[in-house]
Amino acid sequence: MNDHEAAALNQAILDELRASVGDDLDFVVDLVRTYLVDGEALVTAIGAALAAGDAAALVRPAHTLKSSSATVGVERLAATARQLEMAGNDGHLEDAADARERLRVDWQEASAALRQWMAGVAAA
Amino acid sequence: MTAAGIALVVDDSRVNRLVLARQLTALGVEVMEAEHGLQALELLRAHPDAIDVVLLDVMMPELDGYATLAAMKADEDTRHIPVIIVSGVEELESVIRCIELGATDYLVKPIDPRILAARVNASLSEKRLRDLELEHLEEQRRLTQTIERQKAELSRFLSPQVAALVSSPDGERLLGGHRRQVTVVFVDLRGFTSFAEQADPEELFAVLGEYHAMMGAAIVEHGGTLEHFAGDGVMIFFNDPVPQEDHVERAVRMAIAMRERFAPLSAKWRRSGYELGFGVGIAVGYATLGRIGFEGRYDYGAIGNVTILASRLSSQAGPNQILLSQRAAGMVEDVVQVEPIGELEIKGLSRPVSASNVVAK
Repeated sequence: MNDHEAAALNQAILDELRASVGDDLDFVVDLVRTYLVDGEALVTAIGAALAAGDAAALVRPAHTLKSSSATVGVERLAATARQLEMAGNDGHLEDAADARERLRVDWQEASAALRQWMAGVAAA
Repeated sequence: MTAAGIALVVDDSRVNRLVLARQLTALGVEVMEAEHGLQALELLRAHPDAIDVVLLDVMMPELDGYATLAAMKADEDTRHIPVIIVSGVEELESVIRCIELGATDYLVKPIDPRILAARVNASLSEKRLRDLELEHLEEQRRLTQTIERQKAELSRFLSPQVAALVSSPDGERLLGGHRRQVTVVFVDLRGFTSFAEQADPEELFAVLGEYHAMMGAAIVEHGGTLEHFAGDGVMIFFNDPVPQEDHVERAVRMAIAMRERFAPLSAKWRRSGYELGFGVGIAVGYATLGRIGFEGRYDYGAIGNVTILASRLSSQAGPNQILLSQRAAGMVEDVVQVEPIGELEIKGLSRPVSASNVVAK
């Protein structure tokens, strides 16, 4: 699977989410804000686990980040988090430095895309 | 359709919990949240009756969905609560395992609110039915307990046969009044009135207690229905409410047993200075039986000439005599030895009646 083909943000997911809560845009915006707060903490926890080479400590935050990211449509980050979760489960942390770097980049792109989306809907 | 109930959403992702909670609230469902299985089990144990459905993520820290489900199913208080597994597309394998562990249904993320509504409503209906069933069973159990307690209490006051009759399906009809051939036995103590005037209350009750205990045992042994104890007088009938083909013989054998057991009691009382004799009257005939009395105090009683005749024969009986009406004597003369004592003038009856005394077994 080539995860880098996934989009930083798949807006269609956010649109579906919005439709699934009765077109409640405020709810979705609040949810994205919550995601950004929790996501930041999860990315930090994953970074620390990678730095420490602690596979067990990696799995939980990676899993949570994967599933939250999928919900708000940041698919590339979700895929990266999924790979980290699997690597943690298998105990393979060989290229931890690369993984941290990719996570940092994906998180920055994802959060930027979400902020941009929020700015867009606020303006609309 | 609007569902009403309480759902417990268990997911490690706050974002996912918020989405589910929002969608469930739109269905009219109240939401409780847990971050992982351990927290979920704590909430379930604290509110086993409040939570109507659990939406359970599979991969979670602390305690995952499998272990949570297994723990719920192992607990008597939580095993009936429906569990809907919420999983990612890539986790479908785990859904199968969860269904095998007892999950009711599953949902795949991202969740379509219409499918969520359908699954949650189905689970809530199932839970409501189950709750009604449990409520019904509990009600039934309480009712049975009450009836059993009343029966036990009743049997201390009534003849066992009458207590059984009261709680039998036929009870109401039989209590309402019916006519049947019965053998009526009257027993009383000669000399009781003067004894009662002289004796201390303690002595009086001690003597009556011994007498009633002896009589009671004999009544039960022979399957008699005790109508009442009136001080020294006791009325018993046979063949009702439980039919007894040999009702006359049973009555006579009971009277003989009482007479035998009375002898040592009477000797003992005599040593204390009380002269008490024993007399019995037995008659056979049709009587009307059923509930007699008034609201608040009913007896199961027999009414008819047969009871009057038995009572009069008992008052005419000499010490240790068991007087049988002519008809009763005719029905048992093959099994016990009877001796005609001629005709007796009986108060209330226009013609004298022939009576016999039971001489021996």
